[in-house]
Amino acid sequence: MVNSNRKLLRAILMLGYILVICIIVFLISSLYSYFNTGADRSKILHTELQKETIYTPTISWKKDGNEGRKISEQTLNEIENDYLNAWYVQHIAYKTNTKTGIDDYFTKNARKNIFAFIDENKKEKTTIESTTLQHNLDLLFFSEDGQLAVLEDKNVLEYKQVFKNDQLILETTENSDYKFILLLEDGFWRIRHKIKQSSKPYNFTPIPINVDSLNIKGINYYPQKTPWDMFGNSFEIETITNDFKIIKNSGLNSVRIFVPYEDFGKATVNDNKLNKLKLVLDSAEKEGLKVVLTLFDFYGNYDVLDWTLTYKHATTIVSTFKNHPAILAWDLKNEPNLDFDSRGKETVIAWLENLIILIKSVDENHPITIGWSNIESATILKDKVDFVSFHYYEDLKDFEKSYQSLKNNIPNKPLVLQEFGVSSYSGFWKPFGLSEKQQASFHQEIQKVLTKNKISFMSWTLYDFEEVPKEVVGKLPWRTNPQKSFGFISSEGIKKPAFKHITH
Amino acid sequence: MSLSRKFLMLLIYVLSVTFCAQNIKINAQNFTLLTSEKVFEAGSEIVLSFATSTNLKPQLYCSNSYGNTLVTPDLKNKTLTYSIPEFITKKRGIVFWKLITEKEEISGNFEITPLTKTNTLETYLGPPSIEAGGTDFTMLVVIPSDSLDNPLPENTEIIAKHQFLSDEIQEKIITENLLAFKNIFSPKKDGRMIISSSSSTLNSKEFDVNIMPAIATNFEIFVNRNHEYADGNQISTFSTSIIKDKNNNIISDGSFVYFYITNSKNAVLKTSGTTINGVAKAKIIHPDHEDTWQVKAYFLGISESNVITVNYKKAVQDFSIAFSKDNRTLKIGPIKSFMNQRIPDGLQVKLTIYKDKKIIKTIVKDPNNGFVNFSLDKNIYPNDVYDLEISTAGIVKTFKAKKLW
Repeated sequence: MVNSNRKLLRAILMLGYILVICIIVFLISSLYSYFNTGADRSKILHTELQKETIYTPTISWKKDGNEGRKISEQTLNEIENDYLNAWYVQHIAYKTNTKTGIDDYFTKNARKNIFAFIDENKKEKTTIESTTLQHNLDLLFFSEDGQLAVLEDKNVLEYKQVFKNDQLILETTENSDYKFILLLEDGFWRIRHKIKQSSKPYNFTPIPINVDSLNIKGINYYPQKTPWDMFGNSFEIETITNDFKIIKNSGLNSVRIFVPYEDFGKATVNDNKLNKLKLVLDSAEKEGLKVVLTLFDFYGNYDVLDWTLTYKHATTIVSTFKNHPAILAWDLKNEPNLDFDSRGKETVIAWLENLIILIKSVDENHPITIGWSNIESATILKDKVDFVSFHYYEDLKDFEKSYQSLKNNIPNKPLVLQEFGVSSYSGFWKPFGLSEKQQASFHQEIQKVLTKNKISFMSWTLYDFEEVPKEVVGKLPWRTNPQKSFGFISSEGIKKPAFKHITH
Repeated sequence: MSLSRKFLMLLIYVLSVTFCAQNIKINAQNFTLLTSEKVFEAGSEIVLSFATSTNLKPQLYCSNSYGNTLVTPDLKNKTLTYSIPEFITKKRGIVFWKLITEKEEISGNFEITPLTKTNTLETYLGPPSIEAGGTDFTMLVVIPSDSLDNPLPENTEIIAKHQFLSDEIQEKIITENLLAFKNIFSPKKDGRMIISSSSSTLNSKEFDVNIMPAIATNFEIFVNRNHEYADGNQISTFSTSIIKDKNNNIISDGSFVYFYITNSKNAVLKTSGTTINGVAKAKIIHPDHEDTWQVKAYFLGISESNVITVNYKKAVQDFSIAFSKDNRTLKIGPIKSFMNQRIPDGLQVKLTIYKDKKIIKTIVKDPNNGFVNFSLDKNIYPNDVYDLEISTAGIVKTFKAKKLW
């Protein structure tokens, strides 16, 4: 007994000794590292170049000269960068009610004002998710020593969502004018004064584009070998041109093509991808097909702070191709209503609405639509789009009735059945699926309805596919397998019976 | 029984009232803005009142220059009052508000103006040193602000003052785009200018600007030397006249002057110096042979001097050479300078050995006490006929077909 007690005591002593040594080593090492950090010369000068594109609202500069010293392009860029960063950190601060980053972009006196808001909002459990979509900058004054600038920002478009106890209680878009004094401190252009000159609610009614002559007989298109990855490494324009010939010869007049958001480089759109898209559009034009270009394929973030990146992406693509003769319409997003549950209906709709405003400001000539996944959602934003697109995968016999009720709801805008079709998969994972003959009779039947009601349509899809990426319908075999067999042409290239009824 | 019935009635009543209350949508017509003022002075208490016919207490969204927040109302006698928080009321600018109702939007603006009394003159001055002569200038920037750190309105008067020597100048400037600025041009003389600003009630602190002399104008150079002999030992000193700018200010100390020396063989030698009180000095050792130097000094790209010619006379007229019997030891000397004094150690004496008109070896030595000895080793220079050439202080002596044995 005595023996074991002694052993225990010895163990405790030894462990205690080790612990004390550990603590001492830790303290000495942290002291050592404290004295060896922070003296990095590259950091003193604030010259690091690591930068990720995180905030890209539309910016225009009114370059009409300024009081004081003439400014160089480089300095103006530096001011613009830091100015936008100031907005960005402010959005983050109000979203999270934290003060991170504010110190870098606001001077000591200015940041007090922001901190007062943050403290109050934190106490009241108010959070604000906001972004700015548009800035029209004008440099009014630049001091002779290059340390002080006065900036005016007119018609700043601010979108805000106000949450109280995590409940969205207000969505607001404001159009405001600001004046700023910025000081160059420690290599940062920091805001010293920020003064709102005017502010009013922003309302936008798009000018509708006349689309009465819309007569779409089209098809959703992916190449057989590379579905959902049309512009990837295996891109072959010859294959696409051949398919366009098949589509044209079958009597159709248009195709629906998807532009994947991330694959195209998000906010900084990859030129290489744009060139591939141009080849596709050129080829469509040569074959006499019109293209409904669906943007933001595989995009699902919708976070308010992510908006400017997506809008930059859309601006680049729309402004590049707005004069291309093959473009029929811009389809903003495929089936956005499927993201309502996970991302919030209000946010998704607000994103779409602002996207409409943006695209209308870039391209006044091409109609805009949204590819809703069902008839029920199709009325959302019906006043803002130029024609209404919806998908129909439900029972064929209800189609005409549903269509009529939608038509009654939206009497003054054309309706397009933008996706429909059935799978001819019948096998282990879906034993009572349709045969190829039944698929053909489905198309025959629906074409009758379409002809009778003069409905523009785009069927799903030209080919049967061998692989369906998991992002489309998930990984479950009873989902992916039917998804592979919606085509009019089998994966071996043989026309299925349905091909006869590809159009009327 | 009757009690439980009463209780039941009460319950039904309460339920129906709550039900009705829930059904009353917050309707825009239910709220009318009572506050008519649209402009407030910063720091004053701001209360927005609405007449209402319901008991609902919608929140008020407020957005000013720096941020957004929600204000909760007080409801009394069918009047909703929203007291705008202090951190909004004290900042200049437009405040946009919106009543958060379910139906129509009620929104509006009011303006907060800065206080009229100046509390701070935030003053920036730069660049901190400028060139004399009236073309260069420094800029005084003043941001007058009130006690709540709001910039004062447009057209606020500021007095910009500066003093230089006997001049004291005051000038009114007015704010535009939140600040007032003035370009203060340099005087003709160099020195220090004192600058400050003031408003009606307040004075800024003192700022100063160094007025630096402008760039140098052309100047003269001189040479100063102990004697004019080319002895390879003494030092010549070149100096400039007092270098001034176009306004007669002595240029800044430490300005760098290059002296370019071109000798009679057109080779260029270079020496340099910096100015002190406008004079730059540079030194160079005398040549070791008779030579004529052309010297010119420059501020590169700015100004230049005249050209001076400096002659160096022969210091060593002649010297004697004694060969040993086998011609393998040469004794040169005594080498004598201009007063027949033995030349100081350090002069270069060069022996060049030719065989069949090809140089096979050059030996350089310097004299010790006026004498130089060369010995030609038998193992290196086998017995044969050689040409020997001895040169020093620009004098060359040649011995053709000297037989070594």
